[in-house]
Amino acid sequence: MKSDIIGSGESKLETAISYLLIIGVIFSLILEAIGLTLFYYSFANLNILENEVVFIREENFFSFVITTLQGENIQNSAILFMTLGLITLISTPYIRVITSVIYFAWEKNRKYLLLTLFVLIILTVSLTLH
Amino acid sequence: MLDMVTLLLISIIVGFIGALTGLGGASILIPILVFLGIPVKEAIASSMVAIIATSSGAASSFVRERITNVKVAMYLEMFTSVGAIIGATITTIVAPIFLYFFFAAFLLTSFIKFKDSISRSYVSPKKQDKLSRWLELQGSYFDKAKNQVIEYKVNHALLGGLGMFIAGLAAGMLGIGAGAFKVTVQENVLKMPSKVASATSDFIIGMTALAGVSVYFSSGLLNLTLMTPMAIGATIGGLVGGRVLNKLHGKVLRMLFLTVTFLIVVQMLYKGIMSI
Repeated sequence: MKSDIIGSGESKLETAISYLLIIGVIFSLILEAIGLTLFYYSFANLNILENEVVFIREENFFSFVITTLQGENIQNSAILFMTLGLITLISTPYIRVITSVIYFAWEKNRKYLLLTLFVLIILTVSLTLH
Repeated sequence: MLDMVTLLLISIIVGFIGALTGLGGASILIPILVFLGIPVKEAIASSMVAIIATSSGAASSFVRERITNVKVAMYLEMFTSVGAIIGATITTIVAPIFLYFFFAAFLLTSFIKFKDSISRSYVSPKKQDKLSRWLELQGSYFDKAKNQVIEYKVNHALLGGLGMFIAGLAAGMLGIGAGAFKVTVQENVLKMPSKVASATSDFIIGMTALAGVSVYFSSGLLNLTLMTPMAIGATIGGLVGGRVLNKLHGKVLRMLFLTVTFLIVVQMLYKGIMSI
């Protein structure tokens, strides 16, 4: 019954997006859980801190990713894993938009290629400007 | 004092409700965080991550089951993203007070014909306007609660796009996900079935929150010890909600949506009155 309603060409895109989302959330969950466990071993509690070390302060998302991957500003492994988990989570919808652009370009669907490209540009600009 | 374990458990519940209603959950999470002693700006900034977590967790199931209409989502994302950026830019020019009342008034339209809206079955529009047809905005999904295939045609694409632009504007100006607004536009303007509207809103809201969270990277308000438990909890809640939605009857979802929407309307009116 279900297969009757799938049928259309978009099913490949939907399958790709659902895999991408599930991989993104599971991977981020694992990194965040490791971060939380290491945090407990480092600080001997799971209290919410208002300390400078737990606050993110970067020019924009992309510079935040670059400095994290270069290992700058992060000395504690718990903070590093928590940060990597959040980067994975935040990147997931962005990669989803890129996947859609690639799919519609591959399918030569100009209508939706322009539409998704527009969204990707807007999103990239907003992530770069702040 | 709030600790990470308590926050994680709260976020599971919020993520679950957010996934079922398509509301993202920030409007529930922020007042709880503020009540438990977290500074309001920090609560707003960090809750954006919870929205992304709920959205991605829930959407992974919704997209696979074809409840989310990906084409409708991509068309509407154009309007919400532009609205969100303009909203964030004009916050200092236009007083948000007008938006609080406008937002509350619009959400109140969900309660028109309250009894009918709870009990009625979905009826798809027979005709589509030219733009909706050109954009191929139609679809079908298998409803597990009804054990039948529901086919639908989306209508009034341009008006729906305008509604989404205003939802994006509200999200950018007020620092919210505006999920309630998005679901209401999809149901009342675009004439989509409730489950498809919730699932498609869950899909869109992650992208709106992504644009929203970018504002906060330079603000120093993003607290890792707040965001990590919220992200874990909301992801788990979203994943579970994503697997439950299709098994629930429309009546239950509609009641849940209206209850949460009522709470949001009260919040909006309170904020509007307080800022006079």
